[in-house]
Amino acid sequence: MSDQTQTDTGLPGKFMQQMVSLDYRVLASPLQQRFDAGMRAGRITGHKCPVCSRVYVPPKGYCPLDTVATTEEHEVDVGDEGIVTSFTVLTPIQYRGQRERQPYALASLLLDGASSTVGQQRIAGPIEDVRTGMRVRAAWKPEAERTAEVSAMAQWGIGKAIEHWEPTGDPDAARDHYAEHIL
Amino acid sequence: MFYFWAVAEAAVESGFTLEFPYKRSLGPVVGAFLGGLYERRIVGVRTAEGRVICPPFEYDPDTGDATGELVDLPETGTVHEWAWVSRPLRKHPLDRPFAWALVQIDGADTRMLHAVDAGDRGRIARGVRVKVRWADETRGHITDIACFEPVG
Repeated sequence: MSDQTQTDTGLPGKFMQQMVSLDYRVLASPLQQRFDAGMRAGRITGHKCPVCSRVYVPPKGYCPLDTVATTEEHEVDVGDEGIVTSFTVLTPIQYRGQRERQPYALASLLLDGASSTVGQQRIAGPIEDVRTGMRVRAAWKPEAERTAEVSAMAQWGIGKAIEHWEPTGDPDAARDHYAEHIL
Repeated sequence: MFYFWAVAEAAVESGFTLEFPYKRSLGPVVGAFLGGLYERRIVGVRTAEGRVICPPFEYDPDTGDATGELVDLPETGTVHEWAWVSRPLRKHPLDRPFAWALVQIDGADTRMLHAVDAGDRGRIARGVRVKVRWADETRGHITDIACFEPVG
């Protein structure tokens, strides 16, 4: 119950501060475990639908359009480069537990060889330079640091094996290339 | 807010804690109750019909009418309904087996839900007399009552 009271302030009888704290435990599915193992090895993998050839990253284990199951035999590697299809700039407010101090950009990326985007990817460099169509490349964490929290975010993205994404400096992708992935 | 608290080495199990920090204004009656706890006093409120409600509300739950004067109550009471917790959870007020109980403070006509540190399941029963054990440090929160403990 110490969680509930540690932020109490000096106004007893006027205000009450209370922390509602919910603990979650998450078990990675076999699909996620295999994807995570790939990420720890520096490989981003997807599943290629045997009917429509779309490549889903991270793999879903099925193609929602053709309603067919996909397995390890449909696994393909995709590039650790891609293009920004949409982005947002976050301006952090300071609260207990906040680790961010400066505004930063999170983007959805269409990786080379993938048909679906991965979201919530941090883009390095000046935020005013971030734009749709910009080409970026993964900055992988050192291999020794890819073990601990890799799978923690797998349910919502591709994990934490990649520190951030850096602009490659290559020419922007043509608008038609990513138009269907604009959110 | 939101942070990760544990990840298994095999990256099979992970976890996170989602937290919602609430700050609530208390008003004249609940504020008087929690402000009273801060001063290690138990406060109730009298209804138009003369009943005493503790913990106090701004309204009489039977009639909906506004309640009246605040009354000081003793820190002793009687256990009514109870439930034994044999394996306390991390967020429970006690780290050893205890009882959740509805305690009727002496002089009150209603009951308060709180923990009773009975030590052993055999020491909790309807009718057991209890008194407040105050927290070492009070801060205007229901946890200023650390728990109730049997007397006599």
